[in-house]
Amino acid sequence: MQALTEQEYQDWLTAKGLNVPFYERYADWVVDVFRGDFGFSFEKNTEVGPLLAERLIATGILGFWVFALMIPIALITGVVAGMKEGSFQDRAVSFISVFTTSIPEIATAIFLTVIFALGLGWLPTKSAMTQGFDWTQLVLPVMTLVLYDFGYVARMTRASMAEVMTSQYIRTAILKGIPYSRVIMRHALRNALIAPFTVIVLQLNWLLSGVVVVEVFFQYNGFGKMLLDAALFGDIYVIQAGTLAAVFVAVFSQIISDVGYTLLNPRIRFS
Amino acid sequence: MTKSDKPRRLHPKVREAKDLMDRGRMDRREFVRVAALLGVSATAAYAMGGVTPSFAQQGDLPFPQDDSNAKEGGILRVAMQVQKMEDPATYSWVEMSNQTRHMLEHLTFTTPDNVTQPMLAESWEASDDLKTWTFKLRKGVMWHNGDEFTADDVIFNMTRWMDPDVGSSNIGLSTFASMVEEKDGKKQMLPGALEKVDDYTVRLNLSKPVLSVPEDLYNYPTAIVHRSFKPPLSDNPIGTGAYTMTNLKVGERCELKRVTETADGKPFQYWGGKVYLDEIHYYNFDEDNQLTAFASGDVDAIYEFGIEQFELAEALDGEIIEARTAQTLCCRMRVTEKPFDNEKLRQAVIAATDNSVYRDLVFQGRGDIGENHHVSPIHPEYYELPGLKRDVEKAKQLLTEAGYPDGIELTIDVGNTDGPWHQTVTEIMRDQLKDAGITLNINVMPPSKYWEIWDKTPFGATAWTHRPLGTMVLSLGYRSGVPWNETAFASEEFDNALNDAEAVLDTEERREKMKKVEQILQDAAVMVQPIWRPVFTIAAKKVHGYPPHPTQYHQFNKVWLES
Repeated sequence: MQALTEQEYQDWLTAKGLNVPFYERYADWVVDVFRGDFGFSFEKNTEVGPLLAERLIATGILGFWVFALMIPIALITGVVAGMKEGSFQDRAVSFISVFTTSIPEIATAIFLTVIFALGLGWLPTKSAMTQGFDWTQLVLPVMTLVLYDFGYVARMTRASMAEVMTSQYIRTAILKGIPYSRVIMRHALRNALIAPFTVIVLQLNWLLSGVVVVEVFFQYNGFGKMLLDAALFGDIYVIQAGTLAAVFVAVFSQIISDVGYTLLNPRIRFS
Repeated sequence: MTKSDKPRRLHPKVREAKDLMDRGRMDRREFVRVAALLGVSATAAYAMGGVTPSFAQQGDLPFPQDDSNAKEGGILRVAMQVQKMEDPATYSWVEMSNQTRHMLEHLTFTTPDNVTQPMLAESWEASDDLKTWTFKLRKGVMWHNGDEFTADDVIFNMTRWMDPDVGSSNIGLSTFASMVEEKDGKKQMLPGALEKVDDYTVRLNLSKPVLSVPEDLYNYPTAIVHRSFKPPLSDNPIGTGAYTMTNLKVGERCELKRVTETADGKPFQYWGGKVYLDEIHYYNFDEDNQLTAFASGDVDAIYEFGIEQFELAEALDGEIIEARTAQTLCCRMRVTEKPFDNEKLRQAVIAATDNSVYRDLVFQGRGDIGENHHVSPIHPEYYELPGLKRDVEKAKQLLTEAGYPDGIELTIDVGNTDGPWHQTVTEIMRDQLKDAGITLNINVMPPSKYWEIWDKTPFGATAWTHRPLGTMVLSLGYRSGVPWNETAFASEEFDNALNDAEAVLDTEERREKMKKVEQILQDAAVMVQPIWRPVFTIAAKKVHGYPPHPTQYHQFNKVWLES
């Protein structure tokens, strides 16, 4: 649009219905959204609805694998660390999780790419899926996100586990001579997992915004990249629809977290 | 030219040029270029010039010769930004035109070695005064829908380019600038400027002599669309090329497929001889990501990688292709905006900068040094002015005269539209200006945002692409009142000097004329234009005939893939 004159610009705004007052545009947009019409993307020349759905599914696939790997790793390491506060495994897990979490995703992504893609040549450097869906292209973005995120959940789990392990009923159980493994499995774990559960669900929300860096770096055509492209281009309907989706996920995950917490924690349930 | 044609009259200027060459006043390559512009077939021009073409074409086709080892088939995958294909006449990105180039074609074709040859035009003739140009169109060129390509298509396109409502930048090209006049505040086509002689002949009547007509016709927004064209192109892609667009997802992919039959089911015959690739796929990768995408084999070739990735490129298994270009960055000041309406201030900015260091600092010694007049040493008509000298004391004095004895704070908008080197350039400039008491703030903005304000901002760093002639760029960007005049520079003296230079054939003489043109622009102090950058691209070893092009135009007609 380098050659657009002021008049042409105004004409364009009129043609796209963008020069009416913002509250009118907002009202129109809300009505349209309820009808399932998310508007039109100026940059991509396509309807926003299908675009949004496609990108959310792509990010959903990424997110699924991040969760599928991150949750067991984080819970296991967290529980192992929290079983005995101050032990070697506790220190080791704490160190690793603080270390990986404190490196920004962009740095992790670069390190992993240099090592596994450019150095060893085991994995592709980019995840644009140009030839259709390809599992190997998911590995690096998933690894990056898992490395970044697992430490947080692991430390939450560790703290919760450590607290449970110092409680009276665990001490009583151990003193009663119940085997240690049974104390952990039957008595400690269930209570220790309540706190991490809420944290994990809230990671859903984090993932949707945190995924931007990773998607852009690996050129993965997901929700995050769509949102960034739209923001840079000023693609207003895409931004609106993307924000709506993000808010929906945020509220939804909060509800799941609250309801789940109530179900898991009898003290809340019965009060 | 077909064989049945009578040998055509040799333009007197060709004899003149030959004479100049023989007397050593024009180099051989330049002679070939000029002769080709004046309608001599390239083969003949090369023969007359005694030059072996680096880009030998066959018969009357502008493309390189068929490679006897070539294998047919395969998909060429290229990493590039995938953009909208709305209206070729208003394209403002070379990437858009690359997506289009194998589908829509031009009347002429400029090869990588800067010789312009016939494409959809079969030949042309210029009058002795270079004001009347007659284009004979190639017969038997078929549109994808089965129609035949005729003069109506050409008239339709050129009329559109000169229609102020379309807003095509082509109106700034010398050819079309001399076919329009200012009317009701808008540039409009002069009556009679465009003439349909018969179904296969079109005549352009220019108001002043222009030599670069054929070269202008390969400027990237001059792709010829079908006479029924309505934007957006992507909704109804009809072309004359060997390929058509089958799938476009902006920001993701653009797939082109070889056309085998027309819309009504008849076999489609491409006029331009053999093409080898079945399909050409563009995949969207940002410039920063293209080389790494190539590294992992996602693509076979890329659009471009930046100098900062050169080391990585050398480590990869591919062929690095480097082109010396007239691509540049203009840190230009808009002379109608405060405080840049003050000439003394602009001169202070120029005096405080030292163009000679950018080449080493930004491009590791590659590229050429710019001289603030936007004519490159690789342009044939380049005149070497006395070198620019940095003078901080003079800058301070100018600043005082301009009314800023205590220095001034300026802000430059940078869009990094060609990569992060824009920012590096302005950072060097910031350090240089500091010595003269000018504080430069750098406002980095996203590329697409920059293109919204590039011609409006008081101070901005704008990238300009390569064009084969210096006069072409000057006509597009600095002539009074043309759409792409981002500096708002308006000087009748300059316009006239440029007209003068454009009308001269003798390269030596034209170079002399350019002295004045360059000097006026340099003295006007409208920009710091510190460097001519090289461009780099890379292709896998299995890709044959991937052409380097200074404008990064993709010409894949003879590219083939080893299986």
